Amino acid sequence: MALSPGRSGLGAGPSPAPYRLSWRILDALEAVAARWPARAEGAIRWLLLLPALLVVGLLVFGLLVMGDASLRVMDFRTYRLSEQHSLANYVRLWGWGAFHATLWRSLGATLLVTLLCLVLAFPYARALTRTSSARLRRLLLVGLFLPFFVGQVVRAYGWLVILGQQGLVNQVLGLLGLGPYRLLFAYETVLFGLVQYMLPFAVLMLAPALAAIPEEIERAAASCGASPVRALLRIVLPMARPGLVAAALVVATLTLTDFAMPAILGGGTNDFLANLVHDQFFRTSNAGLGSAIALVLTFLGTTVAGLLLALAGPGALGVRGAR
Amino acid sequence: MNDPSFFTSRRRLLGSATALAAGFAVPAVLRAQEPAKPAELIVRAWGGVWVDSLKKGVSDPFTAKTGIRIRHDLTEDNEIKPRIWAAVQQGRTPPIHVNWDTTANATSSALRGVCESLADLPNLAKVLPLAKPIGLEGVPIVNLYSYVYVLAYRPEVFPGGAPTSWSVLLEPRFKGRIALYNDGIGFHPVAQVMGGGKVSDIPGNMEPCWAFIRKLKEQKPLLGEDPDFTNWFQKGEIDVACTISSNAREAKAKGVNVAWTVPKEGAKVDTDGMWIPKGLTANELYWAKRYIDFALSTEAQQVWLDGLGLPGVAPGLRPPADLVGDPSYPTTEKDFERLILIPPRIQAEHTAEWFARFKEIMQS
Amino acid sequence: MTSTAEAVPRTRAHAEAVPAVEALGLGRRYGTVWALEDASFRLERGQFLTVLGPSGSGKSTLLKLVAGFERPDRGHVRLFGAEVDTVPPHRRPIGMVFQRLALFPHMTAAGNIAFPLEMRRFDPREIPARVERFLELVRLRGLGHRRPHELSGGQQQRVAIARALVFEPGLLLLDEPLASLDVRLKEEMQLEFRRIQRELGVTTINVTHDQREALVLSDRVIVMQGGRILQEGEPETVWRDPAHPFVARFLGVGTMLRGLAEAGPAIRIGDRRLPGRAPNPATAPRPGRPAVAALRAERVRIFAASGSPAPGTGFACRVTDTVFEGDRVLYELIVPELGEVRLRAVDLDPGGHARYRPGTQVTVAWSPDDLLLFDASLEPGSDP
Ligand SMILES: Nc1ncnc2c1ncn2[C@@H]1O[C@H](COP(=O)(O)OP(=O)(O)O)[C@@H](O)[C@H]1O
Ligand SMILES: [Mg+2]
Repeated sequence: MALSPGRSGLGAGPSPAPYRLSWRILDALEAVAARWPARAEGAIRWLLLLPALLVVGLLVFGLLVMGDASLRVMDFRTYRLSEQHSLANYVRLWGWGAFHATLWRSLGATLLVTLLCLVLAFPYARALTRTSSARLRRLLLVGLFLPFFVGQVVRAYGWLVILGQQGLVNQVLGLLGLGPYRLLFAYETVLFGLVQYMLPFAVLMLAPALAAIPEEIERAAASCGASPVRALLRIVLPMARPGLVAAALVVATLTLTDFAMPAILGGGTNDFLANLVHDQFFRTSNAGLGSAIALVLTFLGTTVAGLLLALAGPGALGVRGAR
Repeated sequence: MNDPSFFTSRRRLLGSATALAAGFAVPAVLRAQEPAKPAELIVRAWGGVWVDSLKKGVSDPFTAKTGIRIRHDLTEDNEIKPRIWAAVQQGRTPPIHVNWDTTANATSSALRGVCESLADLPNLAKVLPLAKPIGLEGVPIVNLYSYVYVLAYRPEVFPGGAPTSWSVLLEPRFKGRIALYNDGIGFHPVAQVMGGGKVSDIPGNMEPCWAFIRKLKEQKPLLGEDPDFTNWFQKGEIDVACTISSNAREAKAKGVNVAWTVPKEGAKVDTDGMWIPKGLTANELYWAKRYIDFALSTEAQQVWLDGLGLPGVAPGLRPPADLVGDPSYPTTEKDFERLILIPPRIQAEHTAEWFARFKEIMQS
Repeated sequence: MTSTAEAVPRTRAHAEAVPAVEALGLGRRYGTVWALEDASFRLERGQFLTVLGPSGSGKSTLLKLVAGFERPDRGHVRLFGAEVDTVPPHRRPIGMVFQRLALFPHMTAAGNIAFPLEMRRFDPREIPARVERFLELVRLRGLGHRRPHELSGGQQQRVAIARALVFEPGLLLLDEPLASLDVRLKEEMQLEFRRIQRELGVTTINVTHDQREALVLSDRVIVMQGGRILQEGEPETVWRDPAHPFVARFLGVGTMLRGLAEAGPAIRIGDRRLPGRAPNPATAPRPGRPAVAALRAERVRIFAASGSPAPGTGFACRVTDTVFEGDRVLYELIVPELGEVRLRAVDLDPGGHARYRPGTQVTVAWSPDDLLLFDASLEPGSDP
């Protein structure tokens, strides 16, 4: 590290400005950085990735353990998993009506909630990115982020309060001489709760994609003779595809694996696969069957994600590649 | 006064002095060779009225007598179980010292062999035979009280008086307004009877049970867990339910107009107990046993179970005033005649299977 | 759809009579600020109009109103004789090239060019041939299959032009499409625009802040500032007779001198009276009032200190800077007689005589015709 010229002089001329501590620290850091071997840069990059890799590695390890457990059958006379491996748990799932019902219910909800969220999130994200009114934008942003401060379980209980027999909605209906109606504990209630929960995620994923579409592009479409609807279909939606796919990816995987909404709003008869997994692990202590369902769920989630990414084409998430 | 050894020894001294004064039922021989006391014991419990009454009736007096602090761990019984199993399997210290558990759930742990034997508890000799689990080797669990899955109802929908049969669950006017446990627990024997079967056929032939539950499914029941029932009665979501009497009693305590009955077909009775996981140090094991032994005492049960409104196994308990003569508080032979007890071992061995059938019906 | 501009009568006699574009007192306000105020002009068919002005002067706003992307707060637009205030942009017979081109990134070049044809319901069988023809017109034959990001900047420009013209719109709007190009490409594209526009004869409004581009391309020029039209006319006229000091300055006049107006007209600076010319009576200075004078740099003649112009017309001065630019030499001079004012002069024939180095004493002179006089109040504060 070179001496600062101000201090190497022998007192000739005006006395130098005091050399500040923060400058010294920065100098030292720069000196270290200058000595840093260029080759280490690659290593550093890997080092920074390490925590993430560790987490993923642990996940993979967990899956392997589950894979092993899923091949062992629980003996309820000793509450221990069998020593031998077999596909018995999977065979049981294949023949278990409750599993089929739950599977299709989860998949159906995934499809419906994802579609609904995209349809509802699109205008919201568009208004958010296009409005020229700062006040409206602020309002939309608050509306977007406020739900994040309220956890999923709290929100589900909120719906119990609002939609219950003596809840807000039924009270208002009661003033009109209607009801009370059973609004809770149905498949529709669970879907409603899920859409309400997932919507901010969808908006959040969609907004950057829409913001990246210049207004000029839409004007260009109009000047080409495209009506607003046709401009939306032919230009805006295709250009927003990365955002739509990202939003669908988040909403679909979160919905498919959701636990709280069906547990709280489903009234016990609208379980999703995650509830079934939970029951097997914690209620009947059947780690074998639970692992099998968990693996099926993981496989489904991966498949849904894979399908969506395939649908989007390469580089859909803005990862390097063709734009 | 800052010398910790002095402090602890003084407290220990005080503790044993109180214990002596209270006539703590421990043979003098045992007391002479008492192992070192741990600073605290962790007892798993259910929240709400359950932990409150346990603290008042058992834990606080135990601390007063022994100087050992009691910490209550409110992890769900089903969730602590796999953790204990894993700890025992891997030779680690288990997360708790005493597990307050349903007997059926505890039996699965006993079958797996993770429970310490409680056969040498002094109080075990003085209590009802119900305290020792049926069908298990030794005493891995001690039952502490029983409870009944009653038919709870809203009196205003039964102006003619209490319903006398479980068949009211099928009345069209209660469609969407009945509730059961979400694993069907507590209802199987009743359903077996209602479906025209015999209790003695459990677990061999339970088709009558499933047939009845299938009929119930048409009634669009709500399925929940203990707190849900109280809540649902309170919020006007349901009119009739099969639930543990304590939940109905709690709703009533909260000012909801709820009553309960044991219909003519009978009702399922079950027990709760306590057990100690393997893997504790010798002194912790000793004091954990002393805790459970104390929970068996009349002194502790009188206060604790008054809070829960449940009949205990200790001799000479006086029922709470509001439950004298109540069918959900069985005390006499005649009371017990109408209650159906399924041995916990059979329950433990078939829970998963019954659960699967129940889900199959309710989820499709 | 009888009210759309595309349904405007197209009989030949009528068509000759009505202008392509008429702006009648157009105004557009954002918040409390008028981005465009009282803009009126008329553009005949086939003409090339350039709207010239600095950034923020309201050029794009004017185009937005003509294209229909925004509604005017005041005034009306007429296209081919029909009022189009209620006609949405996609129903106006207008092709447009945007500042940032706005090509559709998910379509090929050919797809971009075909898009307006599909939207405007051209016979699908005719589309491929037409796309080919326009690819050829903009010299992109064989590149139709490429995506925009696989094309160079100039090629992207050409796609944008083809897309704007392929459906043969009545009017072409260009919103500074050349602004971001480097000088050589820009000049090439300017000529390209001119060629294509002549070839197709399409009426065009071009927006730019580049005065050279305006002069090179246009049949007519509008100069704007602060949301107002300062002057409209043929490029040569505007160049020769700028009607406003701002126009003079924006067209790159060279030097602005300040003084007092005198009859004649003339401007007095210190003891010297400089005769000049007021190009526009409306902006002429009144005698006795402050005036500004614009002096064209390329009309300033430079003499060695010894040689001199007609007596009484020249000024002794000192060269302070000499910039050799190849085809010309730029001088900066200080004139003590005019209160040390700085002058710019351009020698367009640098090979013809000696170059003057900094420090040299020279004499300068110009014709009164090249000193343009304006009322100083038109030019608030700013000193050249
Ligand atoms: N959408 C808008 N909202 C607010 N102000 C605007 C908007 N568009 C343009 N302006 C303002 O209007 C004035 C003219 O803008 P513009 O027509 O884009 O100028 P130019 O194209 O000549 O650079 C500028 O001061 C600009 O800030
Ligand atoms: Mg502009």
